[in-house]
Amino acid sequence: MSIENLSTVYFEAMSAPPKYPLRFLRWFCREDSLDEIEGDLTEVFLKQSATAPRKAKWNFGWSVIKYFRPEFIKQFKQQPNTYGMYKSYFKISLRQLIKNKTFSVINISVLTLGFSCFLLLSLYLHDELSFDMFHRDANTIYRITQQERQDNGTLRNISSVAPTIGKEVREQFPEVEDMVRLSAFGRVTLGNDPTNRTHERALSADANFFTFFDFPLVEGDAKTALKEPFTIVVSETIKEKYFGAGAALGKQIWSGLRRAGQPVYLTVSGVMKNFPKNSHLQMDILFSEATWHSLYNDYTQYVTTEWVDTEYTTYLKIKPQSNTALLSTRIEALVKNNYPADREFRSSFTLQPLRKIHTNSSQLESAAEQFNVNSIKPFYLYTFAALGFVLLLTACLNYMNLSTAMAIKRTREIGTRKTLGAPKNQMVVQFITDSVLFSLLSLLLSVGLAYLVLPWINVFTNKEISISSLPFEWLVMVVAVILSVGILAALYPAFIATRVSIVDALKREIKIGGSSLSVRKALLVMQFAISVMMIASTLIIYQQLNYLREKDLGFSHENLVVIDVNSRNLRRNFETVKSEFGKPAEVLRVAASTRVPGEWKSFPVATTKSNQNTMGSEMIFVGIDRDFLETYKIKLLAGRTIEDPVADSLKIVVTQLAVEQLGLTDPIGQVVEIPRVRYGERMEELDTPFRVEIIGVVENFYFESLHRKQLPVIFGALNTAIQVIDYYTLQINTSNWNNTLETLKAINHKIDPDTPLEYTFLDARFEEMYLADARRGQIFLVLSIIVVIIASLGLFALVSYSVESRLKEIGVRKVMGASVSSIVALISKEFLVLVIIAGAIGLPIAGYYMQSWLQEFAYHIPFGVLVFAEALLITLVIAFITIGVRTARAAVLNPVNSLRSE
Amino acid sequence: MKNYQLGEFEEIVLLTVGILNNEAYSVAIKDEIESRLKRTVSMGALHTALIRLEDKGYLKSFSGESTEDRAGRPRRYFEITALGKKAMLHAKETREQLWKAIPKAVLEYQLRVTN
Repeated sequence: MSIENLSTVYFEAMSAPPKYPLRFLRWFCREDSLDEIEGDLTEVFLKQSATAPRKAKWNFGWSVIKYFRPEFIKQFKQQPNTYGMYKSYFKISLRQLIKNKTFSVINISVLTLGFSCFLLLSLYLHDELSFDMFHRDANTIYRITQQERQDNGTLRNISSVAPTIGKEVREQFPEVEDMVRLSAFGRVTLGNDPTNRTHERALSADANFFTFFDFPLVEGDAKTALKEPFTIVVSETIKEKYFGAGAALGKQIWSGLRRAGQPVYLTVSGVMKNFPKNSHLQMDILFSEATWHSLYNDYTQYVTTEWVDTEYTTYLKIKPQSNTALLSTRIEALVKNNYPADREFRSSFTLQPLRKIHTNSSQLESAAEQFNVNSIKPFYLYTFAALGFVLLLTACLNYMNLSTAMAIKRTREIGTRKTLGAPKNQMVVQFITDSVLFSLLSLLLSVGLAYLVLPWINVFTNKEISISSLPFEWLVMVVAVILSVGILAALYPAFIATRVSIVDALKREIKIGGSSLSVRKALLVMQFAISVMMIASTLIIYQQLNYLREKDLGFSHENLVVIDVNSRNLRRNFETVKSEFGKPAEVLRVAASTRVPGEWKSFPVATTKSNQNTMGSEMIFVGIDRDFLETYKIKLLAGRTIEDPVADSLKIVVTQLAVEQLGLTDPIGQVVEIPRVRYGERMEELDTPFRVEIIGVVENFYFESLHRKQLPVIFGALNTAIQVIDYYTLQINTSNWNNTLETLKAINHKIDPDTPLEYTFLDARFEEMYLADARRGQIFLVLSIIVVIIASLGLFALVSYSVESRLKEIGVRKVMGASVSSIVALISKEFLVLVIIAGAIGLPIAGYYMQSWLQEFAYHIPFGVLVFAEALLITLVIAFITIGVRTARAAVLNPVNSLRSE
Repeated sequence: MKNYQLGEFEEIVLLTVGILNNEAYSVAIKDEIESRLKRTVSMGALHTALIRLEDKGYLKSFSGESTEDRAGRPRRYFEITALGKKAMLHAKETREQLWKAIPKAVLEYQLRVTN
C-alpha cells in the first residue's frame, strides 16, 4: 500500500486513533519515546482500520495498555535540575551570611537567645507537667482529699483523711485495687554516735508502699521492707550520712523513740534510691506502720476506729474506667455512716488524680505543704508557657525586621534574578533557604547554650532537668515550632522582595513602599510593647518583693536565733533552761514560747467568743513568757503582758485586730471564752470552755507570710490547756557566731545529752518564705533583659536602615546649618513615638496580668500609675540610647561624603 | 572471550533488522517477524527489545522522514552495529558448537520419534 493510498484511507474513513487511549498514552509516556510509539501505533492502526476498523480500535487501546510499563512511563515530578538550584540557594545564603557579618551575628544571636529561652522553658514546663508520671500506674492512682465546711461557711480543703477511710474503702469497694497510707508524725532524733545526732523528718507508711509506688530500692525487698516493727527504710543520702559507704541492710540505729524508758534501736530494712525531683512525695526516712502498733498500746484501736482525725494521706489505685465521682460519693456515704454520733458530719470527698497533685494542690491545707514541697500553681505554668512563646515571637519579629532591611539591600540581586526570568517562587525559596539556614544554625547553637546553662538552672530551680529528659514527641514539637516559626519569619521579607519592580531594583532606587515600612514599624511596636510589659512586670515583682522584705511586720526578726525544743528535758523547768541559755555574754535576752513567727508548725487556732461576738472568730493562740514581747519588740499599747505562767494562766494579751473582731471598746478586764481549738487539721473541743481575761493589748503584727491574711493573735501563758512550750528565742549580739554556737551547743548538751541543738536564724526563715517569689522575680528579670536586648537590636537595625536611606537628606540639612542634636532629635522623634505607642499597648496588659499576680498576696503594694510611668521611661531611655548612638554617627559625618556622589 | 548477551527474542529482532537492511523500523520489523515466523509480536515487547539492544550497543538508530500515515511522527530506523554483528556471529557459533557436540544417535532417535 502506498503512502497516498494510506492517507486517503485515513482521511476518507476519518478514522483517527481512539481519543482516550491516545490521550492516556500521551499523558504517561516518556517524551523521548512518545513520538516513536505514537507513530508506530498509529501506523498499525491505520493499516488495520482499512479492513477492520473496530478491531483496529480495540487493538490500539490494548497496545496502549501494554505500553504502560516502567520503561515507558515518564517521571512525573518535574524537577529540572532542582538539586543544583538548591545548592545555589544554599551557597548564596551562606555567602550573604558571611558578607554581612554584623547583621548575621545579630540575627543569629537573637534567634539563638529566643530559641534557647523557648527550649529551656519547654524543658521546665515539661518537667512540671511530668511530675509523678514515672510510676507505672500513674494514671490509675488517686489521692483522697476532704472538704470540710467551717462555722463561717468557708471550706477547708485537706489532703489527708482519717486512718479508717483508706482501709474500709479498700475492703468494701471492688473498684479499688490497692491502697496505701502515709502519715507524717514529725521528726525523730537519730544517730549511733551520742555526740553527733540530728533530727530527721520522717514519715510512716503501710507495708505495701513500695509495691504501690515505683520508688526503687537499692537494698532490701520491696514486698517486705516495711512489714516488721521497728524497721525503717532510708534514702541513699541518709544511709551515707549514718552508715557511710557500703551496705546498711540489717544495721541498727539509735533513735529518740522510747520504749519502757529505753531508747529504741531501729533496723534498716531497706535503702531506697533518692526520690526523683519530679515526685511530689519527697522523703528520706520511712517507718513501718507496725512500729506504732508495737510501740503504743492503743494505736491499733486508733487506726481502726478513728473516723474524724485527718492525719493519713491516702492513695488509692483504682480499676481503669471506674467512675471516680461515684466512688467519692460512696466514700462520703461510708464516712457519714460511721461518723461519731455526737459530731456533726459536714465533709465531702474528692479523688485527686496523681498527675494533678503537683500543679493543683495549692488550695489544699498543710498536708499539701508537707507532701508537696515544690507545688506550683497553674497560674505560673501558664505564665511560663506564655513567656516562652513571647520570647520566640520577639526573636522572630526581630528576624523579620532585620531580614527585610537586608532584603532591600539585596535588590540588585533580586533585579538580576528577575531579569533573567526567575519566577516569584524562586525568590521566595531563596529567602526561605536563608531563614532555614539561620534557624538551623541558631537551633544548634541554642541546644548548645541550653546544655551549658542547664546545670545552673537546675541548681536555681532545684530540679533535675536534662535535654534528654524531654520525650521524643515533645522534642519533635519544640523543634517543629521553632523551625516553622523561623520559616514563617522568612515569608514576609520574601514577599517584600518579590514585589520590587525590576527597573527600580536594578537602578538601586529602593522604593520599598510605605506599607513595608509601616509593617516593620508595627513589628517594632509589638516588640517594644512586649518589652514594656516585661519591664513593668519585673518592676512590680521587685517592688512587691521589696515590700515583703521591708514591710514592718510589727516585730523585729533581726539577731534572733530560734531554738527548737525537741525533748522533754528542754521543756521541763523552762526557767532553768532560760537562765542557762542567758548566761553567755552574747545572749542579750531569752524568751520561751509555744510558737514563733514564720511558718514552722501550724499555729493552733482558737475560736474566741465575747459578749459582742457570740459566733466567735478564729485567732492564733501563742503561749509566751514574760520576756517574749521585749525580745520580739512587740509594742504594748495598753495594760501589761503575761508575767507569771501560773498566776497569769487565765489571762491573755491580744492584738488590736483581735479587739476589733471581738467587738470590744474597752478590752482590758473583759473576759472572753475559747470553746475549741484547731491544731492544723484537727479540731478539738475543749472539755471545759477556756475562759480568760484580757490584760493587755499589743500592736498588730504579721506572724505568717504576707501571702496570707493577717489573723488576730492571742498571747496566753505557757502550759495552758492549749499548748506546751516548743521554742526558745535568743536575742544575740555577737561578732563570732561560731564561738557562740559552740557555747550554746555545750549548754544544750548539759541540759539534755541525748538531743542535738536545733537552731535557726529567724530572718533567714523569713527570707525562705518568699524564696519561690524571689526566684520567679529573678527569672522575670533575666527574661525581660533578654527581651529588651532583642527589641533594642531590632530598633538598632531599623534605625540603621532609616539613617542610611536618609544620608543625603541629613547631608543637605547639615549644609543648610542643622546641628547634630537637631538631626538626632529629628530621627529619634519618630521612633520614640513608636515606643510610646508600644507603651500604650503593653502597659494595660502588664497591669491586668500583674493585678492577678498580686492577688497571690494578702498584702501587696498599691497598684499605682507610677510604676508604669517608670517602665515607660526606662524603655524610652533604652530606645533613645539605641537610636542616639546610630543617629549621632550619621549626623557627625561630613556632608561632603554623602552629597558628592550625585 | 567477551560475553555477548542476547536473548532469544532479541536475537530474532536483531536478525530481522539485518534482513530488512535499510528499511528496518518498528512496524516493518513487527510485520517481518510475524510473516516469517508466524507468531504475533506485541509492539511493546518489540520496543523494549529494541531499546535494550540499543542500550547494549548492538543497534543504532536514526530518525527518518515524518510521514502522514504516522500522523506526522517520524519513523525511527535501526541499523546493526559492528558489535551487533559480532554478537550475532557469536550466537550463531555457539549454537553450532553445541549442535556439533550433540551425539548423532540422540538426534536420530529424536527425529525418528518426532516423525
